[in-house]
Amino acid sequence: MIVFGFLKVLLGNVAKGPATEPFPLGPATTPARFRGKVHMDPALCVGCAICRHVCVGNAIHISERADGSGYDWVLWHNTCALCGLCQHYCPTGAISMSNDWHNAHLQAEKDEWCESRFVPYLVCERCGAHIRPLPTSVAGRLYADNHVDVARILRLCPQCRQIETALHEGVRHDDQRVA
Amino acid sequence: MHPMNAFKKLAVRSPWLFRINAGSCNGCDVELVATACIPRFDVERLGCRYCGSPRHADIVLITGPLNLRIRDKVLRVWDEVPEPKVAVAVGICPISGGVFRGGYTIDGPMDRYLPIDVNVPGCPPRPQAILEGVLKAREVWLSRMGA
Repeated sequence: MIVFGFLKVLLGNVAKGPATEPFPLGPATTPARFRGKVHMDPALCVGCAICRHVCVGNAIHISERADGSGYDWVLWHNTCALCGLCQHYCPTGAISMSNDWHNAHLQAEKDEWCESRFVPYLVCERCGAHIRPLPTSVAGRLYADNHVDVARILRLCPQCRQIETALHEGVRHDDQRVA
Repeated sequence: MHPMNAFKKLAVRSPWLFRINAGSCNGCDVELVATACIPRFDVERLGCRYCGSPRHADIVLITGPLNLRIRDKVLRVWDEVPEPKVAVAVGICPISGGVFRGGYTIDGPMDRYLPIDVNVPGCPPRPQAILEGVLKAREVWLSRMGA
């Protein structure tokens, strides 16, 4: 009977008696799934800003740098409600929640208590335009059915990508017509 | 040893805590109660205990985003706490306004009105994080006592 599983725990607790955790004199136990500080992996970010859109505490700020070299992704822990919506909606899995809960800090550190990441833009090989990087895992999914050179496509801007693909497809169709 | 000095040495071992609820949703208050009243976390090991009167307090734990209705009462209670006192903001609401920031009844964040010393963000922070914050506040308090 699965319903009475709690009885075992209850009896065990009665036998053991109350126990104080060693923290702060020793380490604290933290469940692996505990929702602590948010982490972001800039290698996987595509800059879609869905995290900023779903954030209940308005904790995420994304700003493009003036020189066009990339964008800054900043999350202020002091207004993050640890709800995990950003992690849930992140399409590439760039955002993860660690089980790090060591969040207490002095007032002097209040404004710097951030997860701050810089995501650099790539430069298109063909025309030199700045482009948002596309993680290889996403590109693999997008171009799974296409006969294109994914490694080359990733280094091009969307316009040049279209041209490149069109040229490639054109050549392929011509070949089929001849045959 | 002068009896007053002996008293000072004893007193610095036990900062007493006082809670102010400045319009909190009660989430952080529940965690504060768990920190003190559940033997598993037991803040009283550090010599801390909750007191019923602000005049006995050393460390003040503040929860809630400070709404307009409670603002003047919070400030009145804060003035009752004798110096040296340390303020700890528990939860994201007193620190930044949290999810309530920008609401028409919210007059926070708390550091517009009170000199906050330690922040413990979280929604709510877990009891161990509050313990950590109390320890940090204790250090600030000891340095203010000159001990």
